[in-house]
Amino acid sequence: MQELFQLLVSGIATGGIFASLALALVLIYNAMGLVNFAQGEMAMFATFIAYALIQRGMSYWIAFPVTLVLAFAGGILVQRVVIRPVERAPILTLVIITLGLATLVNGLAGFLFGYVPRSFPSPFSAQTVDLLGVFISYRDLGVIAVSGVVLLVLYLLLQRTTVGLTLRAAAFHPEASRLLGVQVSWMLALGWGLASAVGAVSGIMVAPILLLEPNMMQTIIIYAFAAAVLGGIESPLGAVVGGLIVGVTINLAGAYIPHVGGDLQLAVGLAIIILALLLKPNGLFGRAAVRRV
Amino acid sequence: MSSLLELEGVRAGYGPTSVLHGVSLSVPDGGVVSLLGANGAGKTTTLRAITGGVRWTGEIRLGGRSLRGKPTEDIVRAGVAHVPEGRGILTELTVDENLRLGSHLRRDGADVKKDYDRVFEYFPVLKERRRLSASTLSGGEQQMLALARAFLMKPRLMLLDEPSLGLAPMVVRSIFEIIRAINQTSKVAVLLVEQNARIALELSSDAYVLEVGRVAVHGDSTELKNNESVRRSYLGY
Repeated sequence: MQELFQLLVSGIATGGIFASLALALVLIYNAMGLVNFAQGEMAMFATFIAYALIQRGMSYWIAFPVTLVLAFAGGILVQRVVIRPVERAPILTLVIITLGLATLVNGLAGFLFGYVPRSFPSPFSAQTVDLLGVFISYRDLGVIAVSGVVLLVLYLLLQRTTVGLTLRAAAFHPEASRLLGVQVSWMLALGWGLASAVGAVSGIMVAPILLLEPNMMQTIIIYAFAAAVLGGIESPLGAVVGGLIVGVTINLAGAYIPHVGGDLQLAVGLAIIILALLLKPNGLFGRAAVRRV
Repeated sequence: MSSLLELEGVRAGYGPTSVLHGVSLSVPDGGVVSLLGANGAGKTTTLRAITGGVRWTGEIRLGGRSLRGKPTEDIVRAGVAHVPEGRGILTELTVDENLRLGSHLRRDGADVKKDYDRVFEYFPVLKERRRLSASTLSGGEQQMLALARAFLMKPRLMLLDEPSLGLAPMVVRSIFEIIRAINQTSKVAVLLVEQNARIALELSSDAYVLEVGRVAVHGDSTELKNNESVRRSYLGY
């Protein structure tokens, strides 16, 4: 029982990391009906920036928000420079462009920072705390707290502010929003900025666990896809719930299903994607796709 | 009265299909003008040209300034509230959020509050349903929401695309009463596109009848209403 609870808590921590990246995917999907395959690589690059800042003597808790701001600006820049010129292109073109972007960012990180895995600091101690007989690491609790705060801030921004309102409006109905004076094109850029910042959180949170190197996010993005698809690719809440479910599932599968631990965990993530698509194609929180014939 | 909106020889279309073949019309400051005509005559396209939703040539001026090359957002910000065909309600959002999208650019907080009070006086049902999703509203209520939202934009000019479409006669009556009230108390000019010529002519002072992309008839609303041959050949009642 005790072991189960420990696995659950660390699963929730992992899930929070997936949820952040899944949320980044959902933000862009909602804005332009596009899955951004470069999301993980953008998060990895932001994590390298955080690493460089910390290496230069900046404290972790200053480097963290500074990185988020830089990631935000970087996301806007990518949208303006790379995506905007091809905004009206067919979706397949856009998908290929995000794949190209992923390769580009990956190569750029390798060129600038090298491929040697580096240990990334965690601000939370690796020690455990005894909570009613369950030993939980401060690191897991810290990751859960940071993901929770980030998701809450994003929720409040989208649901409770005017900018959030116009952002949602622009995503749902660009034409009607323009007629209300919403600057739709900038809202798209803002969406990319936010997605990039939220994705960066997942990179910074996962780096102490995985070691930082250019390919660090390539498995994480698969789990994030699984989370987003499971939750319903259009639903921010679904991304969070999906992230937690995927995190807990792979943690439990790794411990209890023989041979899964380690090597086959990714297969569990892929299995979740396939099962979700087969059994509930709109996801747990997605709306049914209605198509006019 | 000076002209708030002027169109001169406006041609427009979609891709290779041209829909407007040189439309000229003007809307006086604070006035109500009807734009009538059969389906496909180019009424909706005219409105879309004004707010930059379709490419056009010729000249369109708002308050004496050309709208050439301006993006929709800037035209809207210059004081044009366009209630499009289909009403442009954001059904994923609540009634309140739709209204807030109307007032989100305004910086005159105290007046905004007064205008919300006015809106809920005009349309009490919107106050009751404020927290509900806009998708739960009936067609008439959605039209009310669209009109309320346009009013909250505090425009100089409202472009209304068939506010009567698909609504019961009684609902149409009350909506037109409120359009009249908004025009008279807030001095908002209105360019009204309608298929229902009878009710449009009651409201407007001036009217244009479009026929396949050209102005076929222009005149005083009362005159058009009383001119039997115009009524028969163009207005269909």
